[in-house]
Amino acid sequence: MEADEEEDLATALRAAGYKGVKCGCDGGVCGASKVIIDGEARMACGTPAREADGSEIETIENLGTQEDLHPIQQSFVDHFAVQCGFCIPGMIMEAKDLLSENPDPSEREIRAAIDDNVCRCTGYQKPVEAIRDAAGRLDGGAVTTDGGNASNEDSPTGGNYSD
Amino acid sequence: MTDNDTRPDGGTASRADADAEVDDIEGSLDVDEPANNRLDPEERKSVSRPTEKHDDRKLVTGEAKYTADYDEQFPDLAHASVVRSDIPHGRVVDIDTSRAESIDGVLAVLTPWSEEVPDTKYTSAGQSYPEPSPWDMNVLNDKVRYVGDPIAAVAAEDAETAEAAAEAVEIEYEEHEHVLDAEAAFDEDAPQLFDPDDVENKIVGHDYERNRMSHIGGTLGNVDAAYDRDDVHVHESEWETIRQSHAQVELHTTLAYTDEDDRKVVITSTQVPNHTRRQLSHLFDIPIRDIRVKKPRVGGGFGGKQAMVVEPIPMALMLATGRPVIYEATREEEFQAMRSRHPMAVCAKSAVTEDGDIEALELYALSNTGAYGSHGMTVAGNVGSKPMPLYSKVENVRFEADVVHTNTPQTGAMRGYGAPQGTLALEGHLDEVARDLGLDPIELRQDHYMEEGDLDEIAGMMGGEGAERVIRSCGLDECVERGMAAIGWNEIEQPDAEHLHRGVGMALSAQGTGVAGDELGGAQIMMNEDGSFHLMVGGVDIGTGADTAFVQIAAEVLGCAEQDIVVKTSDTDNTPFDYGAYASSTTYISGRAVKKAAEDAKEKILEWASRMLDEPAANLDTAGGEVYSEETGASVTLEEVGYESVYGDETREHILGQGTHSTDESPPPFAAQFADVTVDERTGEFDVNKLVVAVDCGVAINPGMAEGQIEGANHMSYEMATNEGITFDEDGRAEVSDYDDYEFPTAAESPPIESILVETHEPTGPFGAKSVAEVPTNTVPPALSNAVRDAVGVRITEMPITAAKIREKLSE
Repeated sequence: MEADEEEDLATALRAAGYKGVKCGCDGGVCGASKVIIDGEARMACGTPAREADGSEIETIENLGTQEDLHPIQQSFVDHFAVQCGFCIPGMIMEAKDLLSENPDPSEREIRAAIDDNVCRCTGYQKPVEAIRDAAGRLDGGAVTTDGGNASNEDSPTGGNYSD
Repeated sequence: MTDNDTRPDGGTASRADADAEVDDIEGSLDVDEPANNRLDPEERKSVSRPTEKHDDRKLVTGEAKYTADYDEQFPDLAHASVVRSDIPHGRVVDIDTSRAESIDGVLAVLTPWSEEVPDTKYTSAGQSYPEPSPWDMNVLNDKVRYVGDPIAAVAAEDAETAEAAAEAVEIEYEEHEHVLDAEAAFDEDAPQLFDPDDVENKIVGHDYERNRMSHIGGTLGNVDAAYDRDDVHVHESEWETIRQSHAQVELHTTLAYTDEDDRKVVITSTQVPNHTRRQLSHLFDIPIRDIRVKKPRVGGGFGGKQAMVVEPIPMALMLATGRPVIYEATREEEFQAMRSRHPMAVCAKSAVTEDGDIEALELYALSNTGAYGSHGMTVAGNVGSKPMPLYSKVENVRFEADVVHTNTPQTGAMRGYGAPQGTLALEGHLDEVARDLGLDPIELRQDHYMEEGDLDEIAGMMGGEGAERVIRSCGLDECVERGMAAIGWNEIEQPDAEHLHRGVGMALSAQGTGVAGDELGGAQIMMNEDGSFHLMVGGVDIGTGADTAFVQIAAEVLGCAEQDIVVKTSDTDNTPFDYGAYASSTTYISGRAVKKAAEDAKEKILEWASRMLDEPAANLDTAGGEVYSEETGASVTLEEVGYESVYGDETREHILGQGTHSTDESPPPFAAQFADVTVDERTGEFDVNKLVVAVDCGVAINPGMAEGQIEGANHMSYEMATNEGITFDEDGRAEVSDYDDYEFPTAAESPPIESILVETHEPTGPFGAKSVAEVPTNTVPPALSNAVRDAVGVRITEMPITAAKIREKLSE
């Protein structure tokens, strides 16, 4: 793919037809533009195209098709984790990165991974459940459930008292 | 246009001229409910099944098209940028556009004085006509009232050039004194934002010399007499809410162009296509019929798009340049110049006997509407009219509100629409009363809250027709019971560490389902010869899944598979009229229109099948894609009916069904919220261990989507309890310019939320449904305030709840 060195990577990808790369902020904050650059999920928005020179970039377009969804995509559908859908491609790319490095993440690890993905419709309960289930689908194994939120590890009150 | 004083209710209660289907049964519990409307769970084929959201496959593959994705269809697309006021209050005395115009690639620079820019007054509020909001705005302004008020607009070959040109426009101001605080603005000596002559369609109770755009109120019984009784305790408390941003992830975006048939088309990220079409017609003096508003996929709205916020600017630039123009707001503009939730101070007052009889309840709200008055009066009205009817057994009730202008960005509709502010005050207040009198906070509520069959006079006490409503479905008891069990209300264990304290709090909420007597939805169904259907609906899916609910309702009636229905929505050239996605109306109003259209089509299908099977239509029904005889078991497929009806030998008919729905009813959905918190008494820091919210939304048409609505709303409600919202420096500049400044709870910072669906049957709703989207937005601030009070004994009344505030109270 050709792009102007100074051009924003998200703008360049969108101009090249990768419209699944979404822009919801003024650069590098909301997570809707996440793509996987050389194996790592990053926000394309706010990244100059030159930083990706020579890199392999994977966008949502490279995952499943409508007829044959990738297991993470299928899990988001099955868990009703999608409402307006604007944040979803970025969140799914982050989930893919997470699960490739950590096939059996805890809920806390999932919440930490999508901590810079803004979802305004559903909140995070169903996306977290979808990613946990996707881990099971990809791995074929059981998933760890620890309940609670990721911040509790550093919590002044020491974490949860409920499940 | 005359003043809007004739509608004191502002659309919160019924209209006298509403086309009421059920007006004859007002005041009675009996409803003329069609037999097919009440299905036992095992009879349901499509409704309340976990149907896949119909656009999900496009959404998760990134193939869905939002407004900005249409750019590739327009090779000559121009890009817009807006010049906004740097000062909070003043007059623009000169605009120098010469430097901007000299930049290569600039196509047009428009100012308030340009010919293409309308000088017509309007409101951006996307409401029915005439809007119960004042016409106090201009598209571009030479009198500016907040930092961010639009002054000039640029179109250029690309976005970067447009932005550079906007920065090159030079504005000379005459600065005026400004006021940011609502209470200060209400003072007689405060700087005045409006000359009354500059406002059309003024709203009841306006007093522009005191910056007041509206005063409303209503009363039942005699509140003051109840306060004077010897046997009551009178409590007063005051509560404050934040200026919350909608922060929907898709930016406000509009693409305007003239098509091959000379139609003025706007593809836009909106909740209100039909209102936007009418408002554009009003502004630009173009006939309604010549404007087409088309809504593609929308990336969230939450009320922020129940307004014509940006559409006039690309429209004016398109008219000026003759080119298609796209305008996509920046996130900074979203926080500083779009819309937000009205921040309010709400006072609660009550008279309660020693035994826990509530003799009087009162709320007073001072609402900061910002620089303009869109949704100002109606949101304020809902502070009282949504939460207070919860306690319909209370006989003496009063509500009043003043809505005041300040030199801050204008507010607008936001999910909950006044109910969150009123619910905080009411539910926090009752908790405090219960504690003071040694009463059980849940029993105090249960002794006074509404039940099925109650006559509610509170929702309509501010005026309008149909001021009384019968409660036809109410699951409050079950919401409370199941919520208590899920949070472990009676089994809270204290942490071992002595400085940590755990507490639980709860709050109730009621909303409405549509604006009573001020809603309309339309739907059409066409049968194709292969037995499939096209379903056209005006109703607006902004990510909620409404399109899927429409298909489920139609499939249930028609007895066909959901995938045999092609749904087309929200395109004013091709779909019937609809008021739009607001007031929790879509499933209830537009969904009823869909049901009627499907029933109309079904009747015709049965007539055709009757001829084909030589059986009376009364013996026939549809299921599984067939029409079958209950008597003989004979059947024809819908495909056979489709072919026969279109290509039959003797007669032919295109099977078309239509439905339109409007009603005086607005049944309340209910929520019971529970919060479990642990507080560190040394620091005031706290962890929300869990939120539970049980919701009665009637029959959930799609339980998975309903849960998504509940959890998303509750997350937004949690933000209202814990986030500072949009704040300003003393010069009126917003201190939030992107998500990282806004600091709302992230995935890692959000507590687990458990949603519980409590099914009741609402006889006036499609298959028993009422609304779900708003009611869980109202409840976390009071529930969390009550939980902190339970844990460490301090009361936080001013949102957000922070460790610093708790620490300060603990040290008092």
